Amino acid sequence: MQKLGEFKLPHFFNYPPYFTLQPVREAREKQVQLWKELILDYCRTQKIFVIGLEEEFPLFSNSVIERTLSHEAREAFLSALVSEGHAEWLDKGHRKCLILWHRIQDWAEIILNFVKDNGFEHSVMTVEEIRSGIESRGTEMELLSTACSLEIKLPWKRKEKCT
Amino acid sequence: MRRRPGIGGLQTAAAARDQYRLLGENVAKLRTDLMKEQLATFRSQLEEFARKHKNDIRKNPSFRSQFHEMCAKVGVDPLASNKGFWAELLGIGDFYYELGVQIVEICLATRPLNGGLIDLQELCKLLRQKRKHDREAVSEDDCLRAISKLKTLGSGFEVILAGKKKLVRSVPTELKKDHNEILELAYSTGYVTVDEVERRLTWTHGRAIDALDTLLDEGLAMIDDGHADGKHRYWFPCVSSISSFGADN
Repeated sequence: MQKLGEFKLPHFFNYPPYFTLQPVREAREKQVQLWKELILDYCRTQKIFVIGLEEEFPLFSNSVIERTLSHEAREAFLSALVSEGHAEWLDKGHRKCLILWHRIQDWAEIILNFVKDNGFEHSVMTVEEIRSGIESRGTEMELLSTACSLEIKLPWKRKEKCT
Repeated sequence: MRRRPGIGGLQTAAAARDQYRLLGENVAKLRTDLMKEQLATFRSQLEEFARKHKNDIRKNPSFRSQFHEMCAKVGVDPLASNKGFWAELLGIGDFYYELGVQIVEICLATRPLNGGLIDLQELCKLLRQKRKHDREAVSEDDCLRAISKLKTLGSGFEVILAGKKKLVRSVPTELKKDHNEILELAYSTGYVTVDEVERRLTWTHGRAIDALDTLLDEGLAMIDDGHADGKHRYWFPCVSSISSFGADN
């Protein structure tokens, strides 16, 4: 199995036609599903939050089989992630994409639980404090990044339990 | 018998024919009885054999295959029904039934990737992986038998030939001869180009495009336009050993 650093690449990554956007519906659906899973997995394990469509993202090309995803294909796969809440476009031109390994509503849950578990309900904390605090060691709170937290604030405000 | 003229003659002829017919029937009956008796002997000897070698039949695929051949020679089908002597003694019905179910599962799981056509060897490989923990080894012959049983259920399963290779079809799509030839062509590299099809099969451009587009629509082919030479390539997952990727086995 081919690897990107420590990351194990799935077999389909070495099959040339998967780098071409398939015209037939069923094949396209399967292709999109495989790429969605790969992108999410890779970003989660490599702690990548943002993908630039015109930049050199390792998954966009495979030098072994000499294939590269077209811009159209990249946009198609990322748009699919956006539709299911696993990504957000950071600009109208769809050039940068924020990857959410947990969806926004899931992050809100996670933070809420973290706050409850650690008795922070009545305190005021900055995102940076949450992210680097002792209680956060070994939890997903460490993975919060500023870019991410800006997005999370939105559903957060709607929850009445915390200030 | 001497021929006699007139009505009497006709009656005699008729009587003679009747007698010959009766004699013929008797002879036929005698022959049939004899055959039945021989077959009955065969069967009981076969049953005796099966009893004695039950374990070998279960554990050894090539022995099992030869056993099937013997049975076929005497017109016995151990898989004909799940009840009765054979099924009870050998549990062979269960074995092939289970195999059939597993084959169907594998074909369904890989269908989105290969369009419902899978190389027999690839299928056997996946089957063995699936049955890693089972005591009984499985051969290609076993797969073929299980598939022929599936076929009688009318589930659209069939084994087709593309050149020397055997492919298992699990969708009702009929493969036309043109498609078969393209598959055969694809076997060495896993793909074909339109040029190649035209050149090596001496077809017109239209015929090549037609066949390739149909294969694409049926989900048996995938298109690749990323090669530096700019030529479209049609890849056939069923011909490569990549059915295992992406599937949840």
